[in-house]
Amino acid sequence: MIRNKRLFYVLATLLFLLPTLILLLQSLSETWRFQTGEGLRFQLDSYSVLLSDPKLWSATGWSIGIGAGVLFINLVIGIMTGKALATLSFKGKPFVEAIILAPILIPVLAIAMGLHLFMIRIGLADTVLGVIIIHLVPTVPYSIKIFQNAYRQLGSPMLEQPLILGSNPLHQLFTIELPLMKPAIRSVTFLTIVISLSQYAITAIIGGGRIITLPMVFFPFLDTANSSIMAAFSIWFSMIPLALYVLVEILLLLLPYTIMPWRK
Amino acid sequence: MKWYKTKAFYLFIPSFLFLLIPMYGLVQAFIQSLSTDGALTFEFYQRLFESDRFLASLGFSLQTAFTSSLLSLVIGVLLTRSCYQLLESYAPRLIVWLPMLFPHFVWGYMVILLLSESGVLSQLLQVTGVLSDSGGLPTLTRDASGLGIIITYVWKEVPFVILMLLPVYASIKPEYYDLVKNLGGNSFRQFTSVEWPHILPVMIETFLIIFSFTLSAYEVPALLGTTFPEMVSVLSYDWFYGSSWDDRPLAFAAMISISLIILVLTLLSYLLLSKRQWKAMRGRLK
Repeated sequence: MIRNKRLFYVLATLLFLLPTLILLLQSLSETWRFQTGEGLRFQLDSYSVLLSDPKLWSATGWSIGIGAGVLFINLVIGIMTGKALATLSFKGKPFVEAIILAPILIPVLAIAMGLHLFMIRIGLADTVLGVIIIHLVPTVPYSIKIFQNAYRQLGSPMLEQPLILGSNPLHQLFTIELPLMKPAIRSVTFLTIVISLSQYAITAIIGGGRIITLPMVFFPFLDTANSSIMAAFSIWFSMIPLALYVLVEILLLLLPYTIMPWRK
Repeated sequence: MKWYKTKAFYLFIPSFLFLLIPMYGLVQAFIQSLSTDGALTFEFYQRLFESDRFLASLGFSLQTAFTSSLLSLVIGVLLTRSCYQLLESYAPRLIVWLPMLFPHFVWGYMVILLLSESGVLSQLLQVTGVLSDSGGLPTLTRDASGLGIIITYVWKEVPFVILMLLPVYASIKPEYYDLVKNLGGNSFRQFTSVEWPHILPVMIETFLIIFSFTLSAYEVPALLGTTFPEMVSVLSYDWFYGSSWDDRPLAFAAMISISLIILVLTLLSYLLLSKRQWKAMRGRLK
């Protein structure tokens, strides 16, 4: 086990930690030319160039808005369906589970292309709502799965007790289920936001070039910006899930029976 | 309790409404790949499978997606099985899941930064004198064999494989390992007779998820691929957004073909895991 432990830390550091650190270092220093004997020259221009781009700020706003919308709908669908799948037993349940997970396997590009005309017809093309709807496709199945596991771990006695004591479902949700499912809410937040931030093609198709999210600024940047600015942009990308994570964490503090961190 | 049970079925309404979105999209894509001016036609599929550009693209896509998925799975299993006890604690898990913080194409940019001809690796090798000039390193990004795409996907999906497998490994009872050891089995025996039956269903599920994603995603190949051969997703996107509207049905036909491949593969893997075995496994690991 000791040998494994050392091997693990070496591998994990080399493969996962180091690239992130290199990205951070590159964003904070001028474009590297080690072969000419140059060392690191630290600067913050990359960030000031990046942040002075007005397109970046509006795209960040769009991305956060869309991400928050997608997250909210994911939580609603995930919690309701996850609860149903974990607590009900009925004929054909494996089939229902398979159907609900199926959208992960269908190419989302095909779905977006197929929906494009329909979206134009009902006026959802080129709108934020249209983009939020298409971003649901690659995210909701994961959320349902995560909440299904969370409800299964809660166990049915925990869910029957409030019912016997006469609580209504909404009261039960906020006082028992949500406080006990915080880890699941965190995972869903994280996964949903990152997946939503990763969509270039389907956002371009449904957003019609009018809803400019961060990926749509990132791709053209590649041809013009140097590696310092690109690295800074990459770090910027990772800040958004972190920011929304903190926001969700603050919202979770509002749940009943939460011990405030400063009162521990 | 009956009242509670029937009422609880309303919980399925949102997911049912959600499912209408992908279903409708897929059906529409299928219809549009089969019709011109309202009439049924197979013209587009015929044009598609007579086009060398598409056939080369399809072969390239399948090969790239298969290699990426298989490599991710093998590396993920090896890492999980040797380190799952460590991964139960917080800090190691955080390190492993660090790549999940970034979108795929950002990780793709990281691969360019590290491994391109003028990238960090090439620079370091030149400084240390292993390479004499910047042409010495084989082309690893934007190459015709798809290496850059594969490297990006494997790097990004290994943490996902670990995420999927970790609960399974955590649920295997240590007594099984003791039994194998008692009977004189080695580590390989332990893998084939204890771990394999446990992880097989999740491995197949994970493979399908990664394979269908890598086969059809646009972003990474657009960033790290070349113009020939290109991934089907990139080709379809070009057809969809290209100058000529005549090519649009080709985009639908190409994406539907890809979807059919994934569907057949999914059905095959369901058959592979016979229904009873599948059920037994799910019961045991959840």
